[in-house]
Amino acid sequence: MGFESYVSQMPVAEGKSVQQTVELLTRKLEILGAEKQGTFCVDCETYHTAASTLGSQGQAGKLMYVMHNSEYPLSCFALFENGPCLIADTNFDVLMVKLKGFFQSAKASKIETRGTRYQYCDFLVKVGTVTMGPSARGISVEVEYGPCVVASDCWSLLLEFLQSFLGSHTPGAPAVFGNRHDAVYGPADTMVQYMELFNKIRKQQQVPVAGIR
Amino acid sequence: MSGVRAVRISIESACEKQVQEVGLDGTETYLQPLSMSQNLARLAQRIDFSQGSGSEEEEAAGAEGDAPDWAGAGASADQDDEEGLVKFQPSLWPWDSVRNNLRSALTEMCVLYDVLSIVRDKKFMTLDPVSQDALPPKQNPQTLQLISKKKSLAGAAQILLKGAERLTKSVTENQENKLQRDFNSELLRLRQHWKLRKVGDKILGDLSYRSAGSLFPHHGTFEVIKNTDIDLDKKIPEDYCPLDVQIPSDLEGSAYIKVSIQKQAPDIGDLGTVNLFKRPLPKSKPGSPHWQTKLEAAQNVLLCKEIFAQLSREAVQIKSQIPHIVVKNQIISQPFPSLQLSISLCHSSNDKKSQKSATEKQSPEDHLYVLEHNLHLLIREFHKQTLSSIMMPHPASAPFGHKRMRLSGPQAFDKNEINSLQSSEGLLEKIIKQAKHIFLRSRTAATIDSLASRIEDPQIQAHWSNINDVYESSVKVLITSQGYEQICKSIQLQLNIGVEQIRVVHRDGRVITLSHQEQELQDFLLSQFVMDLKVAVRLWFSFPVTSVKIFQKAMFYKIANGVIFVDHSKKFSGIKWKVGTLFIKWSCLCLHLALAYYDFFPEQNFDLKCLQTNYKHKEAITSKNVYLAFETFHFI
Repeated sequence: MGFESYVSQMPVAEGKSVQQTVELLTRKLEILGAEKQGTFCVDCETYHTAASTLGSQGQAGKLMYVMHNSEYPLSCFALFENGPCLIADTNFDVLMVKLKGFFQSAKASKIETRGTRYQYCDFLVKVGTVTMGPSARGISVEVEYGPCVVASDCWSLLLEFLQSFLGSHTPGAPAVFGNRHDAVYGPADTMVQYMELFNKIRKQQQVPVAGIR
Repeated sequence: MSGVRAVRISIESACEKQVQEVGLDGTETYLQPLSMSQNLARLAQRIDFSQGSGSEEEEAAGAEGDAPDWAGAGASADQDDEEGLVKFQPSLWPWDSVRNNLRSALTEMCVLYDVLSIVRDKKFMTLDPVSQDALPPKQNPQTLQLISKKKSLAGAAQILLKGAERLTKSVTENQENKLQRDFNSELLRLRQHWKLRKVGDKILGDLSYRSAGSLFPHHGTFEVIKNTDIDLDKKIPEDYCPLDVQIPSDLEGSAYIKVSIQKQAPDIGDLGTVNLFKRPLPKSKPGSPHWQTKLEAAQNVLLCKEIFAQLSREAVQIKSQIPHIVVKNQIISQPFPSLQLSISLCHSSNDKKSQKSATEKQSPEDHLYVLEHNLHLLIREFHKQTLSSIMMPHPASAPFGHKRMRLSGPQAFDKNEINSLQSSEGLLEKIIKQAKHIFLRSRTAATIDSLASRIEDPQIQAHWSNINDVYESSVKVLITSQGYEQICKSIQLQLNIGVEQIRVVHRDGRVITLSHQEQELQDFLLSQFVMDLKVAVRLWFSFPVTSVKIFQKAMFYKIANGVIFVDHSKKFSGIKWKVGTLFIKWSCLCLHLALAYYDFFPEQNFDLKCLQTNYKHKEAITSKNVYLAFETFHFI
């Protein structure tokens, strides 16, 4: 079962802080007619393969991301950068503790986004603040279109909807859609998008006070 | 004489001398035969003095036979002598043994002579006869047989008595050991019904439903004790059992869940009063031991406690529009306004004190047995769910829970799907829904019955369906007029009675939803009665006609109470008849109305054009009477 959803990063407006931008967005949504429906949270932890298993290869260890999404409260997602995504039970976290010898958690790598979710007819919009530690690093916007399951069918509709409240900041089509246009969308694809978003945010050092990206 | 020479006859004894030696030149050396004395010695040696007289005779005969040997045996006597010398080395004399034997015989004879002489004097020695059993006097053979039989019987009796004694000894031993062995067999029987385990030197059992899936925290252990207060001397009572069970003190007595619906809410002050009504214990199966009934009763108490605990927990936790009241042993909720459902746990212990106080008996008709039974079923279903294969995980390392819940992680179910998996209704909600349905159904039935008894025509019929759901029943209602059932088929209603609403499906397809209000249903049914009047009625009347007058345009039929005019063109122009005297069964309200229009006015023609009438009539003219029958269709 997959609803189409698209994750994008909302750049921070000039002269404003993250919080203010978020407030702006939410107000826009409420004016649009969306109703608030609680909160959401997506978090991500990074693990890299332990040095002991590398042997003489000398290559850098692969990074593995373990993510949780409050939309799927009983699941846990584990994915590699370009590799497969595993959907598991919440006992997976306990398993990672057991696999300490093979996967070591990267320091200060926990990144998460929290915010409110809004329901607007068939659309579900989630606006969240991306935080790494105590500092807010950016804004994530996720739009989910319920009825559609195939990526290529509803991309234009999503884009139009995004334009209506994001204004000029609408980004282009994400890579995920490009890969599998006609395949059925699943929650793993959402998590891949979040992972890419988090990586992007992690790479940028600080929230730019001024400057548009 | 002349010439026969005398023959020399040499006589030679037969017994030749034995050859001692044959010389080298052929000369023989002969043994000298025994002399007479030597021979006698030899023979004397051969006498055995120890043998009896019989043998002496033989010996004598043998000795005589040897006599002719004497002469010739003289030579051998020497040889014997030598032999005798070789044999009797201790005594060289061959007569030695003879002499010894004779001497000893003499000694013995002397002794005997001495003894006899002393005994003869009777001074120092007397002879006493050896006592002998007196010979029994000669008796009759029958008495002898009797005595012998008696003796043999006595011998047989002895053997039997010995055997009997052994048996009685073993029986008494059995009696003593009976207690010990019976306890074990009773314990075996107990074990066939209940789970037992040995802890230290105590035997404990488990009464709870935990192994059947219950999650109630009561331990439910009972103890098995040996009944040792038995007096072997006294008679063992009939229902004696060597085994006794001790159940936990809070499970004593009997309990049941009383579910009742009351119309008016009682005062708040009455809440919480112990409304026990001691139900007679269900009869235990004959032949089942007393511990079985005791344990079953205790288990029932435990189950009732669990049901009540579950209900009260839900009553407190679940939010509902009208909150439920939980007081002491009663849960009160209001499914409908002005209706009160009370579920109470009635636990009566066995002691006499409570029996006295339970004299105030509440009406048992209040109690809805169906709901109590359903409560038991629901809790058992809940138990089964805990243990079902859907719950038991495959693989065994997976967490407990519903199968689909286990899959919801790996398949990334979202919140809606997870909510749909979890059963949302608790025990209390289910029971309240069932109670609502029962109440609504009984009230619908009462409404229909009251209408049926109140209104005589048209008639209302209700056909209740046998197969109903816990939350839904259905009834088919027909409104007909008597005698015209075939015609008026259009009023058929199907009422589906749900939990809170009644859905009515009309024959022509209209669906109407009524609420639980009683008045609404009543009004609706009454409206249906009125609908029934809008129906086509075909009436046949026949009148005996006394005379017929045929005119140009009309025909006059004179009937007993009036005149009927019939037009030639078969159009109805006038009809008169007397209301009171015509006896036609009117069952329709419309005809009552129709008849009211008609009066018998002999002078007037009454115009029927105010009513739409179609008619056709038939006439059958017989010799004497004309029967006129016509149909009318009346529509109002």
